[in-house]
Amino acid sequence: MIETIRIGHLLRETASSPYRNLVTRPTGAAVRVRIEDALARSDCLTALLDFSGIELLDFSCAEEIVAKLLLAQALPQPRFVLLRGLRDDQHDAIAQVLTHHRLAVAALITGGEPMLLGWVSPDARDAFACLYRLGRGCAGDLADALGWPEPRASDALEALTRHRLVRPEGALRYPLLVA
Amino acid sequence: MTRVIEVPTHFDDRSFDQFAAGFGAWPPEEKLLVDARAAQWASPYGLIGLLTAGQAIAEAKGERPLLTVPTSDEVRRYWARIGFFRHAAELFELHGRVPKAAASGPSDVLLDVTPVRAMEDVHQVVEKISESASRILHGELGLERNAAMRFSMALSESCQNIVEHAGTGGWVAVQVYTFRRRLGRRVAVIAVSDAGVGFRRSLESTHAKRFGERWGDGAALEAALIQGVSRFRDPGRGQGLAGIKGFLDRWKGKISIRSGTARLSIVPAWDDDLPLADHLAFFPGAQVQITIPAQEAESR
Repeated sequence: MIETIRIGHLLRETASSPYRNLVTRPTGAAVRVRIEDALARSDCLTALLDFSGIELLDFSCAEEIVAKLLLAQALPQPRFVLLRGLRDDQHDAIAQVLTHHRLAVAALITGGEPMLLGWVSPDARDAFACLYRLGRGCAGDLADALGWPEPRASDALEALTRHRLVRPEGALRYPLLVA
Repeated sequence: MTRVIEVPTHFDDRSFDQFAAGFGAWPPEEKLLVDARAAQWASPYGLIGLLTAGQAIAEAKGERPLLTVPTSDEVRRYWARIGFFRHAAELFELHGRVPKAAASGPSDVLLDVTPVRAMEDVHQVVEKISESASRILHGELGLERNAAMRFSMALSESCQNIVEHAGTGGWVAVQVYTFRRRLGRRVAVIAVSDAGVGFRRSLESTHAKRFGERWGDGAALEAALIQGVSRFRDPGRGQGLAGIKGFLDRWKGKISIRSGTARLSIVPAWDDDLPLADHLAFFPGAQVQITIPAQEAESR
């Protein structure tokens, strides 16, 4: 089950204004609190944050919303987090703040494969793309598909699991939207 | 006794040091007369620096300074159009004929001189500029369409620094003009200035020890702009300036920050500024200029 959270709606509720720009730390922090409230009321394992309709996302808001939300995933009941509806400049802002914290998140691209924003190893990026194409897989499946030794595929999958970028089920790993 | 401070004929980030030197010790004890009669041109940086001086004197409970307005009609009209006199009238005793700011068709002023005192002001600044930024940066300067968003991000982060670090209000203005002297091309310029504590005092309690005897205005600017440090313990802080640097690198832009007695710049190939100018005349707060040049035809 996926909980879709429309950031534009939260922004309008938070700021009580017609703003479509996510700027300033206090605004970002207020939006994040709303997201956390929504997740606290939900049983879903995956949160899909929909940025459609947001114009500007500055670094301060990217940090307050996305980075701090992921950092809070160490808390009880951690969720898988996916992003949707981002433009290039918003990708850049999120990628920068996540790289700073050595975090990563998956973003859905219209008509394309999901992409990883932030800090992950090149092997983990390749493994992420491969798993999406396979639909699910274990280290052996990935090793076969990528022509890697199995320990290398296992390490890459482990990194993706640690970052909560794939959903584990026994030895298998699933892309988040297939979960 | 009255101290006369001349506004440079060509008043920009470079000649600003000459203007700052006119004040002597801060806060000035004498009555001040700021003489802008000979001004022929002023950048947004110069104009909001002038307002910052008036603000700093007011906040130090100094006597309200006099300001003689430019003799040139054209210069006076521009200063009125960008909204300078509207704010200057609250900080200076104006002498000379001040034209009314007439609203007129499309302008090269992307954002009038605007006070920034609270986060709400940052929202309003970003809202106000978003439409014209796209028209100017893409249509006139030849930057990619999404550059307007990155430009607005740089504006947002620069203005937030005032609210978070200065301890007082500040000013912002954005304009497009032809940069004849050093570039020969159109540029979009963000100028931000405040009369606050400056980078050195803002960072002193958390970072001075690490620098030892090297600590000063120049070292504080280096820590903030090059190393990305912040006075906050939160490890996510300090990324605004890092993000701005990334944007400037991509578009061959320049950032220059003056605080206290130093100015630190990231200098692109088209400019000949010094990366670090130290031991300058003291000026309160911090002054930031971000310059984005029109892209050369071959890079479009």
